[in-house]
Amino acid sequence: MDIILNQYYLQIVIFVLVNAILGVSIYMTLSTGQLSLGNAGFMSIGAYTCAILTVKAGFPVYLAIPIGGAAASFISLIIGYPALRLTGIYLAIATLGFGEVVRVIILNLKITNGALGISGIPTLGTKISKMLSSFGLSRFGGLTAQQTSNLLVLVVLIFILAFLVFFCTRLNRSRVGRAFASIKADESAAEAMGINTTYYKLLAFALGAFIAGMAGGLSAHLTFFIGPKDFAYHRTVEILSFAVLGGSDLIIGPIVGALLLTMLPELLRSASEYRLMIYGALMVIMMAFRPQGLISKETVRFWKRKLGRRINQ
Amino acid sequence: MTLVLDQVSKSFGGLAALSDISFKVNDGEIVGIIGPNGAGKTTLFNLITGIFPPTEGKISYHGKNLLGLRPYKVTALGLARTFQNIRLFGHMSPLDNVMVGAHCRTKAGVWRGLWRTPAQRKEEKSTRERAQALLQLVGIENDTDSPAGSLPYGQQRRLEIARALATEPELILLDEPAAGMNESETQDLRLLIKKIQMMGKTVVLIEHDMNLVMNVCDRLVVINFGQKIAEGTPAEIQKNPLVIEAYLGREEA
Ligand SMILES: Nc1ncnc2c1ncn2[C@@H]1O[C@H](COP(=O)(O)OP(=O)(O)OP(=O)(O)O)[C@@H](O)[C@H]1O
Ligand SMILES: [Mg+2]
Repeated sequence: MDIILNQYYLQIVIFVLVNAILGVSIYMTLSTGQLSLGNAGFMSIGAYTCAILTVKAGFPVYLAIPIGGAAASFISLIIGYPALRLTGIYLAIATLGFGEVVRVIILNLKITNGALGISGIPTLGTKISKMLSSFGLSRFGGLTAQQTSNLLVLVVLIFILAFLVFFCTRLNRSRVGRAFASIKADESAAEAMGINTTYYKLLAFALGAFIAGMAGGLSAHLTFFIGPKDFAYHRTVEILSFAVLGGSDLIIGPIVGALLLTMLPELLRSASEYRLMIYGALMVIMMAFRPQGLISKETVRFWKRKLGRRINQ
Repeated sequence: MTLVLDQVSKSFGGLAALSDISFKVNDGEIVGIIGPNGAGKTTLFNLITGIFPPTEGKISYHGKNLLGLRPYKVTALGLARTFQNIRLFGHMSPLDNVMVGAHCRTKAGVWRGLWRTPAQRKEEKSTRERAQALLQLVGIENDTDSPAGSLPYGQQRRLEIARALATEPELILLDEPAAGMNESETQDLRLLIKKIQMMGKTVVLIEHDMNLVMNVCDRLVVINFGQKIAEGTPAEIQKNPLVIEAYLGREEA
């Protein structure tokens, strides 16, 4: 029990979950075949909006986080309309540029505290514990207050991730999901078959931005402090690599990617000097030998068949 | 008059792909568009469906100007097409391909899809049933779990027709549907095109298979080097010296 509740492990699991949510955000935009590298930008918009609302305006966290998502989503609509005329590498570059613009703006604004960043952000755990103790629930069994609040954060994050997975699976098996998939497969054929491709690309872009913004708000309330450096382009590359490693065909892909890539640096902590090198090598190997990522539709089909045969025998 | 093309021209850079093309298509007709390779037939379809605008001229459908409309709007107006170089959504199932076609006649958005509201479920069910009926119409078994891209060639062509029909068009533009089909498949296709006409739809057909064209079309438009050189019934076209020259002249050269 102590091992499970170990502060350090819990922290890692929490990062895994936040990264998994970010993985879902890139999955969303990729589901119409758009390679957007603006997710770190959207994440920072969500994080700052949320932190400013709770720290400076006293908003409750459960309101501030969706507002952060909505702010990111709103901005995504403004930049998305012109940007989504671009495709492939041009869209990637434009959105990468967007992320940097957001970072520079945050660096120079007063309300964001420039390079100093915003500190003293109330953590999600204490917020939730407070809320519960106001209901008369303070401790569970023999857990310390710290353990209780960490566990509660975990539950909230798992709930959010589970809802997002539910959302995406439902969407995939609906009219909108089919429109997304057809655009990914062949944009101009989709348009010729009666699909307003601009609308659906923008929709996927805005949904992805909302999720990234929410992940930003969540992470602001997990780390006590946010600064512009947290959302530089290395963050975008990190998010993208969840999809590269795990695959972006199925929602489980980027989630597994997030899991592996968040755990990996921790496992390699002893070899910390080589961490980035190993990380980079892994990416190159993936690109060269398995560009579709670890998990693709074929992988799932293959294992289904294999397991099915074993059961039949 | 259903579809009217009025002095339509299109050039790509210096190349005049089409010049001064005018013709009409009436409700319920099957009109064939024939001509040698590179004559500009596919370009004509691209102009009608809004893939790109003509350099000059007017295109209207039931009196409504089609110029400047995005392709999805043209489809919503009741014109659907297939592609010469098959453009299915290769990784999706045949059924899903057809269901995408039904998009512009259905409504459920993100919210309804997320909560599977009764209205959404009803719509989804009827979309699926209609898609299944269309697959049956074109003769594709619907039990296949395999993606559309792995179907045999002839089936892919027919799946494209089913997908286009799912948009509930009044007029369907078929770009070389018989290409790559064997004789018996072409026979089936001929019956299918007749059936589509019987369903009250207008058909415009680009095709190189003369046997098919002469048997199925009510009227033909002949294009050569981007110009209309003849128009008339199959019997008239077969006797037209300009057409004979366009086709036979090439063989002599
Ligand atoms: N998007 C384009 N850009 C530039 N040139 C084009 C384009 N589309 C067609 N063309 C040119 O226009 C001419 C007519 O092409 P089109 O595809 O319409 O011929 P077609 O009659 O369909 O021929 P085929 O029977 O071989 O399909 C060709 O010379 C072609 O190279
Ligand atoms: Mg052609």
